[in-house]
Amino acid sequence: MTASRIATCTRRYDVTRTSKTWIIVSAIALTGGIASAQPVPVPVPLPPPDVTPPPDVTPPPDVTPPPDGTPVVAQPQPPSVDTIAAVPVEPAPAPEPPLTPVSLPELLLAPTGYLLPAGVIYARTGVDTSGGISGDLRFGLGDVAEFGVATTDLVRARDSSDAVAKRLAPFYTATFRMGLAEDRLFRYQPALTLGFRKSFEHEADGHRTRIAELHLAASKRLGARASVHINGSFWDASVENGEEGAVLLHDQGLGKQLRVGGGVAVRAVEDADIAVDFAWVPEFCFTCSDVNRTRLRPILSWGVRYDLTRWAMLQSGVRVPDIGDANLLDAQIFGQITLINRSLERVVKRHR
Amino acid sequence: MRGRLSLTLLLAAAPVSVAHADDPPTTAPRTRDATAAQIFGGPFRSPRLFAMPVADVVGAFQLSLSGDASLLQETGILTSAGVAAIGFGDIAQIEYRHTTAIGINDLNAPIPAVGVQLQAPFRERPWVPAVALAFRLGVPRRESIDDAPVDESVTDLYLVGRLRMRGALDRFTLHAGARVSSARIERPDFGPDGIAQRTMVLPAIGLDLDAGQSARVVAEIGLAPQFRFDPTAGTKPSVDYGLLGRAGVRWAALPTIVLDASVGYQLEVARSQPADGPGSLVEWDIRLGGEVFVPWGAIVCRVAGGFCE
Repeated sequence: MTASRIATCTRRYDVTRTSKTWIIVSAIALTGGIASAQPVPVPVPLPPPDVTPPPDVTPPPDVTPPPDGTPVVAQPQPPSVDTIAAVPVEPAPAPEPPLTPVSLPELLLAPTGYLLPAGVIYARTGVDTSGGISGDLRFGLGDVAEFGVATTDLVRARDSSDAVAKRLAPFYTATFRMGLAEDRLFRYQPALTLGFRKSFEHEADGHRTRIAELHLAASKRLGARASVHINGSFWDASVENGEEGAVLLHDQGLGKQLRVGGGVAVRAVEDADIAVDFAWVPEFCFTCSDVNRTRLRPILSWGVRYDLTRWAMLQSGVRVPDIGDANLLDAQIFGQITLINRSLERVVKRHR
Repeated sequence: MRGRLSLTLLLAAAPVSVAHADDPPTTAPRTRDATAAQIFGGPFRSPRLFAMPVADVVGAFQLSLSGDASLLQETGILTSAGVAAIGFGDIAQIEYRHTTAIGINDLNAPIPAVGVQLQAPFRERPWVPAVALAFRLGVPRRESIDDAPVDESVTDLYLVGRLRMRGALDRFTLHAGARVSSARIERPDFGPDGIAQRTMVLPAIGLDLDAGQSARVVAEIGLAPQFRFDPTAGTKPSVDYGLLGRAGVRWAALPTIVLDASVGYQLEVARSQPADGPGSLVEWDIRLGGEVFVPWGAIVCRVAGGFCE
């Protein structure tokens, strides 16, 4: 009985000790993770170690044996200057390479000409008053490209031309963009990006839909507080059901495919921007004629982007999904949070 | 088996170096006191752009593992490709290539292939292109199109050249070559009428731009054999010319790790239907991939003292 109780107590003690160990390890890991996610403070270069000998150098001890022949007892002596100089000095850690500010690849909805710096991970999540949820995850490649996957709630479809459009969600897309930073080739050159976005196939109501977009976006800073963005996009889309073949947007002519968008951002206060942008989104009509099977809808958005920290931003504003019809009844208020992680960028720069 | 392994190791240990005294080092140092930074700091050479081989081979005592994948190329299917290549003496590499089309529920038609790539052992001089020869032996694969079995195989011989530009264009490297491709498609249930075979000479060209920050902007375009077969029409299969185009970025995030991302048009060689043309954006795809270099000779030297310089 006693042995059993001792064993039980020992097990409890072990469990308690294990739990405490896990709590401590988890707390350290969590703290370390949060700490490592914080922006690095401005590096202060350390002065090189001073190895100049001081003026009052003690002369070396006299080890000449006394004339009476008594053995010399070695006395501990302070290290000489030569000894100090010979000791390898621990090199000061190299200062962290400076990180350039991150210019975001999207305004509110329209693409910008800016690319994420190499190794930067960008994540944006948003909700709106129509119940839609969107997400965007991107990764900067070598300062000249970025890759991303996203889900959007803006693509819609209607059964007929007079039916109410329904959201096709989640509508997954992948994006690849390449470009040039501002002033890279010549002075006053805007940032330029050529981007390609393609959706995965989405199936709803017996119809399989796909979209693809090729865009060229340019962005230019106007002074320290404003930037202007413009883009031209070339769209394609496919609607397919089991009875008929695919109806493709590119069969309807260039006029149905080419669109222009853009926007403006102004730094209104030290940590907040006001932005307005204009973009296009496809809408499907499943029983309409081939010419009207896919239609590009203009979307107007305006709102505010507030810098919470260097690595987190909040966006909120109003989006009018069909500004072409001046239909304000479908307007949505949206909220988004953007997170930027630069840990990998630091690792890459440190190893270069 | 043991004999083959020994022969392989001996071949790897006896590099036929084409490097000259004033050439920069081409491989990681193989010494007992090499640090991890030196071992994994390179340099490493990639033998390809995206799909096109170039006039470079994986360095001696190094292994290259690369692969890419796309969820957008074929609807509902993850298409992927992987290559393992080991370098011999800075002038040759042997590679094993594995291309698969993995459905959501099952695994379809794994396509293994083996290849050899040889680089001409000439010292690089200004305005003189480097030259390499690559042979890729295709293994026949069978796929079913509307329950009709079809066997396809492609064997390729590439002759490629690389020219580093000078002066104002020194950031550019041009790649050009020709691919001699023997392609065969067969419908086993149709006898001799169901066979189409063709040998084609297919040009390919590539451009490589050093964009700084260890990134390279790469574009390649070329012709490729394209299988055409419509089972509903009951027509005889044929082999025709198809266009492959791809542009993107290869970024060496670390010297041993290269990340690839690209946009491409009709990469897949074996398609049963004619494509709609480059204007059909929904047929384009985005591929993501990478290449990892393993300096196995330097690692073995550091750990066990073998294969040291």
